[in-house]
Amino acid sequence: MRTRLYGWAAFPALLLVWSAAAWNLPPYVLPQPWAVAAEAVRWLNSGQLAAHVGASLLREAGGFAVAVVGALALGLAGALSPGFRAFSAPLTGLFMAIPPIAWAPLSMIFFGLGYVAITMVIVVAALFPMAVTVQEGFLAIRNGNLRAARVLGARRWQLIRHVYLPASLPFLTAALRIGFSQAWRALVAAEMLGASQGIGWMVAMGGQIGNATQVLLGVAIIGMTAWITESLVFRRIERRYRHWHLA
Amino acid sequence: MKSGILAVPRALPCADQQDGAPLPPGGAAFHVDGVDFAYDGAHPTFRSLALTARPGEFVALLGPSGCGKTTLLNLLSGFLPPDSGRITIDGETVTPEMPALGYAFQSPQLFPWLNVLDNVRFGLRMAGRLPDTEQRDKAMAALALVGLEAAAGKFPHQLSGGMQQRVALARALVLEPRLLLMDEPFAALDAITRATLNEELLRLCGRLGQTVLFITHDVEEAVFLADRVVLLGIAPAGIHSELAIDLPRPRRLRETRRLERFTTLTDTLLERISAIVATA
Repeated sequence: MRTRLYGWAAFPALLLVWSAAAWNLPPYVLPQPWAVAAEAVRWLNSGQLAAHVGASLLREAGGFAVAVVGALALGLAGALSPGFRAFSAPLTGLFMAIPPIAWAPLSMIFFGLGYVAITMVIVVAALFPMAVTVQEGFLAIRNGNLRAARVLGARRWQLIRHVYLPASLPFLTAALRIGFSQAWRALVAAEMLGASQGIGWMVAMGGQIGNATQVLLGVAIIGMTAWITESLVFRRIERRYRHWHLA
Repeated sequence: MKSGILAVPRALPCADQQDGAPLPPGGAAFHVDGVDFAYDGAHPTFRSLALTARPGEFVALLGPSGCGKTTLLNLLSGFLPPDSGRITIDGETVTPEMPALGYAFQSPQLFPWLNVLDNVRFGLRMAGRLPDTEQRDKAMAALALVGLEAAAGKFPHQLSGGMQQRVALARALVLEPRLLLMDEPFAALDAITRATLNEELLRLCGRLGQTVLFITHDVEEAVFLADRVVLLGIAPAGIHSELAIDLPRPRRLRETRRLERFTTLTDTLLERISAIVATA
């Protein structure tokens, strides 16, 4: 119980430290938390905030969706075919070693400034880590469960529907979580380089015009969006499957 | 449903010991005929292996480690095809999917995403011949056979190892197999649970009358359970010898183990195993 209280104390403590630091600095360098909150209200009322967050989420959704489909195909192919697995492993390793944002300039040369260029960066960012997770998950489906199902009369398509599919839920949700957060990081970075709206643009623009309040507001929204999706959505889903490993 | 061995009305009084009144034998004849098998040409695992079980017979396969038990099981259940020779149940070539074959694994292999009832129901759902309510009734009757009706709504991880193994047994029995292949199903359990399950297994076999091939490395377990113990030599020797177990049935753990004949039989087997290991 006591340990939990420390968890609840973390964010207020961060705000306190922030506020104390802002006390000793001019507001155009580090504004107070409530100044950022007031800025948030202003952006909210003008409808600007919704427009920028909406633009970012639209790109995230598009890139993430394409990456999910691609990762399922790559992961399944890798799990089913040892040859494909051996062939794709070095390539996946290489692409995972390159920070996705390094592709942004090339993507913008290819697709021009706009939705597609940024979405492609997201796809590259999310695709490979998700494909690896999906592949490892399928490979780890317990041989014993498959044998048991066969002895109980399950035929090929029944194995897919009644064993492979339910057994894959835990690592599929883990893959979604990993992919979503990778996509989100890449999205913000790409928007800072080449977008005319979005949360990343909001932060970059704030920096250029010397508006620290706007920068901090953008950073706070980036962090909160990631935190909410990660711990409130994906981790919750994953928790439902935790006991599966014990059986 | 009405004539099945798991019909609901008959399953109910099963909580009592009923070894004295077995149902008509529902066992299949099992034949292994001249089976050769090798993972690679130079080192055969089995050469012209032959093994037969009468309908309703309880055969224990006993062997030291390294005798090819795992390979033998994979062959007997059709997961591995023999290089030559035939393995048949009632004349039909064995495949893992054939309905006559029930299989109990060393670990229970329950599906963690299904509750106990749905685990037991799994085979009936795959076959898809019965309406939902009848599937449930049959699954409950099978759970009653192993004394676990109360656990129907639980998930596998909420059960002890022994309970999981009993659920696995019910899951195999619900399909009314005529041959039950058991791969050291109780080896991972503690001695007390294991002894209880051995007794329970004999009670079920007395009722249901299926043929059983029971793989074990425990001499006393083999003697307690079986009508006949088949001793395997180190691969590729195949079958070393057989021993008929002429202990009276019904067998009870404490009474049977105290019989002089029980000691004689286990001693005989232990001597033979020492001989096998010595020549290896």
